[in-house]
Amino acid sequence: MNLDYAGLFHALRPETSLVVGALIILGLDLSIFRRHTPVERLNLALWIGALAVLAAAAHVWFAPEGPVFGGVLILDKLAMATRLGVLGLTLLTFGVASAAPAPRNPAEQVAIILFATTGFLLMAAAQQLLLAFLALELASLSLYVLAGFDKTRPESAEAALKYFLFGGMAAAFLLFGFSLIYGLTGSIELPQIAGQLFHVTLSPLLVVALVMVLVAFGFKAAAAPFHLWAPDVYEGAPTSSAALIASASKLAGFTLFARLFWREFGAVAGSVSSAHGEPGWLPAVAVIAAVSMLIGNFGALAQSNVRRLLAYSAIAHAGNLLLGVIAAGDAGPAPFYYYAATYGLATVGAFGVIAVAERAGPCQKITDLAGLHRRSPLLAGCLAVFVLSLAGIPPLAGFFGKFTVFSAALQMGGLAGPAGWLAMLAIALSALALYYYLVILKQALVAKPAPDAAPIAVPAIAKLALVLAAGLIVLFGVNPSLLLGLF
Amino acid sequence: MDAHPYAFLALFAAIAVAFPVILLSVAQLWFRFFQPAKPSADKGAAYECGVTPTGDSWIQFKAHYYLYAILFLIFDVELLFLLPFAVAFTGLSAGALATMLVFIFLLAEGLVWAWHRGHLEWK
Repeated sequence: MNLDYAGLFHALRPETSLVVGALIILGLDLSIFRRHTPVERLNLALWIGALAVLAAAAHVWFAPEGPVFGGVLILDKLAMATRLGVLGLTLLTFGVASAAPAPRNPAEQVAIILFATTGFLLMAAAQQLLLAFLALELASLSLYVLAGFDKTRPESAEAALKYFLFGGMAAAFLLFGFSLIYGLTGSIELPQIAGQLFHVTLSPLLVVALVMVLVAFGFKAAAAPFHLWAPDVYEGAPTSSAALIASASKLAGFTLFARLFWREFGAVAGSVSSAHGEPGWLPAVAVIAAVSMLIGNFGALAQSNVRRLLAYSAIAHAGNLLLGVIAAGDAGPAPFYYYAATYGLATVGAFGVIAVAERAGPCQKITDLAGLHRRSPLLAGCLAVFVLSLAGIPPLAGFFGKFTVFSAALQMGGLAGPAGWLAMLAIALSALALYYYLVILKQALVAKPAPDAAPIAVPAIAKLALVLAAGLIVLFGVNPSLLLGLF
Repeated sequence: MDAHPYAFLALFAAIAVAFPVILLSVAQLWFRFFQPAKPSADKGAAYECGVTPTGDSWIQFKAHYYLYAILFLIFDVELLFLLPFAVAFTGLSAGALATMLVFIFLLAEGLVWAWHRGHLEWK
């Protein structure tokens, strides 16, 4: 096998920019900026990190398409779109981090966010089981550390431990599934595996392998019944870490697993477009999607903590996204990519609002947001955009995301099969979801502020990030082809 | 009749279950019929290594040494890759040398970071 190291390095320039940026941040923080205050060190690290992300984005934009290093990586349109989306969401996460109080090790936080982003970028392009696993682990290990980054709060340690234990278990399942696939097909390259699986029937061993990989997918997507970590992690992790876990990690995870399932297991997909269907992984994904939608939406109704509410909303959205993955066989990856990217924007924005509101006092309960329109009209306005986009109100991006995913699912076979029924269920539950989203907005826009509540000063960078996120949501909602045109 | 290719796994599983069950039941029978009950404080104490334990076993202990274990990995991994690199050194290209230097730099930066943060000092 002729290995082209120069080509590999050429293709990995975005990842290299991120890692070099992280090393520069660590080096400067150790040498020149040792004596500065944590806030100064955080700001410096964030600026260098933002430069590294922008450099990576430029490299992604100009990267040539095609397989890299004998097909270990594939740089196609989905990979490019996901990489750009992940980098944009990371940039917004930096905005969230600038609004949050500086942690004890600010440079390390930014460096680890960059390492996680490197993992996301590799996940977006991986076309080989080994690289897919390594990229997933690089991202996951960084996220575990980030979840426990606030050493002063026990909740943060609890979130990190829960996330780590669930994640380690999911990684073990994934590795076991991969090893069975390798045993069945004798290859770790997705195209070769797909070629081998074309000739085999759905043997019990293959079913076990599929289920193992599905478990890991369910964990990464926070889909029920693998969702138990999500509410605790969203509640306990530092706000910027929660924002990264909820947005960029989701987008990269969905791209990785959609590629894995359609590219590799396409021959054993089965069918959910007619009432009888065919056995395969599609019916299993459909069941997970339905359970996620039900548990997510009904669980969110009972929440009084705004972060846990966002976590249950994430579970519900994971159900809709899985519907998008199901529809990706006919409609291509564009619908679920659009949904995941715009959902990420809205979540990062919502966590950004929480991070800024936390500067003036605790922001855990929904009632902590009471009277936000008096305390900071800008924050309340941005929050309204993010929450309404999550709820799917036109003309915001969340509406078009739901529209394109549901219409793609309905085109698979109309109401004759489970795909259509799932879409109808999702539409009905979206109406239900409006209730708990409006509960947040009622507190923020209608309720009177607490008598001792002070006005909230929004730092300039956070203001820029929030307005940018809100603007992008409106822009992508009004003109969806800006994102769909990437495909 | 040919045995199933995985039949030996079932045999192993049966032995793995039977072995401890038999040993434990023999010990239980021995205890039931031959051993007089002579409980004492030493016998009921937590077994550590054969010596009578001093103090409570429910104490907090320092987990600080995990950092040393992680730092040891730096040298361990470095050695693992440096040895084949040194053996094949004369036949390697300049690109391989650069790659190796970058690799060593990455590990060294980890060590420098831990050193500067004071993780090498036993507190």
